[in-house]
Amino acid sequence: MGTFEALMAGFAVALTPINLMWGLVGVTLGTAIGVMPGVGPALTIALLLPATASLDPTGALIMFAGIYYGAMFGGSTTSILLNTPGESATIVTALEGNMMAKRGRAGPALATAAIGSFVAGTIATILLTVMAPLVVQVALKFGPAEYFAVMVLAFTTVSAVLGASAARGLASLFFGLTIGLIGLDSQTGQARFTLGIPELLDGIDVVVVAVGLFAVGETLYVATYLNRLEDKIEKMKGSIWMTKADWRRSWGPWLRGTALGFPFGTVPAGGAEIPTFLSYSIEKKLSKNPEEFGKGAIEGVAGPEAANNASATGTLVPLLTLGLPTTATAAIILAAFQQWGLQPGPLLFETQPLLIWGLIASMYVGNVLLLILNLPLVGIWIKLLEIPRPLLYAGILIFATLGAYGLRNSWFDLALLYGIGVIGFVMRRYDIPVAPVLVGMILGPLAEQQFRRALAISQGDLTIFFTQPISAAVFAVTALVLIGPPIWKRLSGRKVAAA
Amino acid sequence: MSTTGARSIHPAEVAISLVLLCIGSFVIYETQGIAETQGYSQVGPRLFPYIIGTGLTLCGAVLGWHAIAGGWRDVPLDQPGHDAPDWIAPAIISIGIVLHMVLIGWAGFIIASTLMFVLIARGFGSKRAVRDFAVGLALVVAAYFLFTRALGLRLPPGPFGV
Repeated sequence: MGTFEALMAGFAVALTPINLMWGLVGVTLGTAIGVMPGVGPALTIALLLPATASLDPTGALIMFAGIYYGAMFGGSTTSILLNTPGESATIVTALEGNMMAKRGRAGPALATAAIGSFVAGTIATILLTVMAPLVVQVALKFGPAEYFAVMVLAFTTVSAVLGASAARGLASLFFGLTIGLIGLDSQTGQARFTLGIPELLDGIDVVVVAVGLFAVGETLYVATYLNRLEDKIEKMKGSIWMTKADWRRSWGPWLRGTALGFPFGTVPAGGAEIPTFLSYSIEKKLSKNPEEFGKGAIEGVAGPEAANNASATGTLVPLLTLGLPTTATAAIILAAFQQWGLQPGPLLFETQPLLIWGLIASMYVGNVLLLILNLPLVGIWIKLLEIPRPLLYAGILIFATLGAYGLRNSWFDLALLYGIGVIGFVMRRYDIPVAPVLVGMILGPLAEQQFRRALAISQGDLTIFFTQPISAAVFAVTALVLIGPPIWKRLSGRKVAAA
Repeated sequence: MSTTGARSIHPAEVAISLVLLCIGSFVIYETQGIAETQGYSQVGPRLFPYIIGTGLTLCGAVLGWHAIAGGWRDVPLDQPGHDAPDWIAPAIISIGIVLHMVLIGWAGFIIASTLMFVLIARGFGSKRAVRDFAVGLALVVAAYFLFTRALGLRLPPGPFGV
């Protein structure tokens, strides 16, 4: 079956009324949680995991994907009107978009963000459609050694390369790996690190960890440090529509932002932070009026927003073709697949083509729905920003405890939820990234499995990881990304000192 | 970006580093209690715990060294609110969460969650308890029926048996 036929079959799945409904629910929910400060896609999908276990996986996954990229659209609204970036990838939008809003140009800022996200999301979905089958061709040749190699690469980039400090990123990763060890060993069935507590035999559920870190931790942090500070919401003044000049200044940044964002999403270097900053500085260099940057230049919103969205879609390439999550949300989506006994990877393209292609097709539909939801209806979403903080966080905690308790009706999970929430609070306060915890706990057990399988094949010969060409190459890349940046930093630092 | 006062020691950072060091060492120690069954794979269930425990211990050691030698590297300064923490708020919220955990089994989801809602809103400084109660109850009842009836989750009904 060619890619085109597969995609058409996917559309037949995505356009059935029930799946269309799940898609609409997903993007609507995604926009809402993207707008609301304190709630993100990783938290929302984690909360919905226990409740969706009995549903048809295709519909539920279409909804989860909708939540994921819908949150990107909604997040830009908050950044522009509130100047509090929901995540690091929207820092630039928060700066430049908020300046536009202050100058009474909130409408065009929202419009260029929404249309840019649509353009980037659609182009990135086309690229995903084209690229996924090619990556699958390569991935079909992967054995356990190769899988282990790419997992180590993902661990390295998620923890050591991204973020401010490699030491804190790695500490977070190893903490996540430790959580992943708890429970029965998948190969021998032995209990590990259960401390004699029967509840721990099944391991710690990813829902409890994700919700604890994101909902409970965030709530405690905001209450302790941010509650006394006032948020200032910029008013929507004037027209939402862009002028002819706005269009002329936006389309270039949209396309360049997409070109930057997608590759960064696909390589396991996760995180949309780097491409948004790159896009911002490129647009500043190319602009005819660079003096406007920092005071509300529309290019500074259009480019980074497109980069952010394209990168989010790009993240799905390694997730769907290799089963490799590179962001917190992708890790939760992987956990969602696992809940139905599905393992994303090249084999899933052969065993469940309708599910995979239905999911990809639904993203074309979802992007159109999001454009409609976010342009004419933006006034409704802005109302969500006016929810008083006490009610917002009390509501978040209601759903957080519901999600954890709903797993198996055990107070033990609630105690665990609170404990992990306190850990999340400390991590947030001392700038320790949380995404490596989730990637480590979900990917860790899979990595161990592949490692032991590889050694079973080689009969204990460790050189298998370095004699197979693909796995050796991936390990070489891993070494490069680990050693490269510090050396580069030192060299460029020397240059600055010399100048 | 980083604080460079060579002699400044950051007590909280030292504490976190020590906790990581302890967890890492504990993982290594506990691993010795796992029976080694090799089977076909040559590596049993001990190898990964050893690697992970060692990694965590090393991270704790490096962070601890940073903490006593001028503080952790590249910590963003001037974070809003860090100079004036409010410890009453998280205390009230924690009471709310713990009470919810104790109550939910026998008082049921609706009562436990509504109480938690009111307490958390109070923790965030709300003075309008009646409004909080009304909003909380409405939200909790809606969530209860959505999740139990539409999505098939089991939640304790409590004394009213809805």
